[in-house]
Amino acid sequence: MSIVLGYDESPGARRALGLAIDLAAKLDEELVLVYGAAPPGVVGEEAGEHGKALAEIGRTALAHAVTAADAAGVATVVEVVAEKPVPALLAAGDRHEARVIVVGTYGESPLRGAFLGSVAYKLLHLSTRPVLCVPAEPE
Amino acid sequence: MSTPTPRTEAQPQLKSGAIGFVDALVIGLASTSPAYSLAAVVGAVVALVGVYAPGVFLASFVPMLLIASAFYYLNRADQDCGTTFSWVTRAMGPWIGWLGGWAIAMTGVLVIGSLADVGVRFGLLALQLDSLAGNTFVVRTLTVLLIIAMTAVCVIGTEFSAKLQNGLIIAQVGALLVFAGIALVKGLSGDGVEGGGLTPSLSWLNPFGAGGAALTGGLLLGVFIYWGWESAVNLTEETQDSESTPGKAAIVSTVVLLVTYLGVTIAILSYFGTAFLADRSGEEETIFATLATEVMGPWDWVLLAAVSTSAIASTQTTILPASRTGLSMARRHAMPSSLARISPRFRTPDVSTWTVAAIAIAWYLVVNLISENALFDSLTALSLLIAFYYSLTGIACAVFHRRQLTRSVKDLLLIGVGPVIGSLLLIWLLVESIGDLADPANSYSGVSWFGVGPPLVIGIGIFLVGVVFMFVWRVKDARFWAEKTTTAERLQADIAAGRSAAAVEDPAP
Repeated sequence: MSIVLGYDESPGARRALGLAIDLAAKLDEELVLVYGAAPPGVVGEEAGEHGKALAEIGRTALAHAVTAADAAGVATVVEVVAEKPVPALLAAGDRHEARVIVVGTYGESPLRGAFLGSVAYKLLHLSTRPVLCVPAEPE
Repeated sequence: MSTPTPRTEAQPQLKSGAIGFVDALVIGLASTSPAYSLAAVVGAVVALVGVYAPGVFLASFVPMLLIASAFYYLNRADQDCGTTFSWVTRAMGPWIGWLGGWAIAMTGVLVIGSLADVGVRFGLLALQLDSLAGNTFVVRTLTVLLIIAMTAVCVIGTEFSAKLQNGLIIAQVGALLVFAGIALVKGLSGDGVEGGGLTPSLSWLNPFGAGGAALTGGLLLGVFIYWGWESAVNLTEETQDSESTPGKAAIVSTVVLLVTYLGVTIAILSYFGTAFLADRSGEEETIFATLATEVMGPWDWVLLAAVSTSAIASTQTTILPASRTGLSMARRHAMPSSLARISPRFRTPDVSTWTVAAIAIAWYLVVNLISENALFDSLTALSLLIAFYYSLTGIACAVFHRRQLTRSVKDLLLIGVGPVIGSLLLIWLLVESIGDLADPANSYSGVSWFGVGPPLVIGIGIFLVGVVFMFVWRVKDARFWAEKTTTAERLQADIAAGRSAAAVEDPAP
């Protein structure tokens, strides 16, 4: 079993990271850090550079998360995959037999979340594993 | 507590098997946007070359086909970036590459206004709001709002259902073919308008029938209607069963496209004759709507809606690549780095996308203020830029693969001779058109700017702005100009050896 975390350095994701590290440490399980780097939108031959840019952002973000996990003595697996965030998290959840998939939320209204394509929103409906949604720290 | 050791990382790569036959077929059709393309240029081409319009459409496909081969092979050698900007830079150096990238980004920017304008106008006509469609202020306001809305959609990264998009594209082509069928039957049975009722003849397929300046003008607009078709052959890696599916889809989409263009043009000629269209050459924005109403009567909204959805969908799919070219250039320090910014919330290049939209809106408003026939002068100028970057790509293909040309006859023809001939045809077209357009009488609007035709002023103006910007940026930031050229096999060797992006310095290692 493992804890799978979708991490992108958004405020919600930062709080989710703290929580996921705690959980992984308490349960003595591996923390799987996932970043889906496929660009949103339809396919096209110009998408390559966009995907590369996203992969770089993802690697930077996950490197920061790894540092935090290292400090807490939690073992990590880093996955930057060329999928959109939701399928990336679902697939990683299956691969690593996730006990729970943790994601941060923007704390948007449900309608806004649905309209803007919130990852947490989609994940809650599609995942067969437990999902933990972590809102950003209140100001 | 375990020690933090196991760390694996999968490299992102294109997902294979993401696209099936229907999707690949639809991409080939959607990227050329047949309903919009026809609505935008068929009136002008018939006015230019008369009954030889089908011949001109057929002839302008030839360079397109040869250049598509260049896109296919370049994409195979270097899928990472996959834009003319990147390929030309690798094959022929940063100066020419930069201009190629500029031309692509600008073609996108220029056409967005025209697409949104056609989308709005035909949308209003389809809703039977003819008086609003005739009101310039309303059309311009709605056009600007449409561009803003579509840009927001691109920035948010909202995905329309692929199935819905496929359905719309197929419905569009269907509507066009039904229109062509009815017009042809009525035209042949003598029910056409007065002066129409022509019987199609094989000589209509002769592109040289009208000769001279009319031919180059027609061919230039013909290049415009096939613009984007190379996408159909470009998706090999992403398609299921990549040995045969993309090939078949590309062939089928090509046949569908050619049949649609030729069928519709022949039917229009047969039903209306040439005089009807020539008399209405001043109404180019709505000429296609007039044709639809004449032929389909109360059912004209079907065709009008097809044109409108085609144009609106293309507005979105044009903003996207233009902004990605900006992103690509900025990441290699060829443009200001702010254009490379990615929105953390939506994961899209937001600065680049809004910049594209802002320039497109400004361009749309300015051109409409200063030119009566803004749409066509703009499209002709656009075709000059398309011909320019297509010909660069064709030459880049042969240069990039120069050591592989002697491997087999097939390689020599498809990678070397074909693309170069395509390029030469387009360069010939460019030179001829520039000569013709230098005479203001040959431009669509017939007015003179600085003693030459408006499209040439627009085309050269954009090119010069690019050159000035390039020199200013070269002085400010020389990093992009340090990039070295490479060849196909050196790139392969570098990739195999794990050195990323060959001699091209990786922007952020």
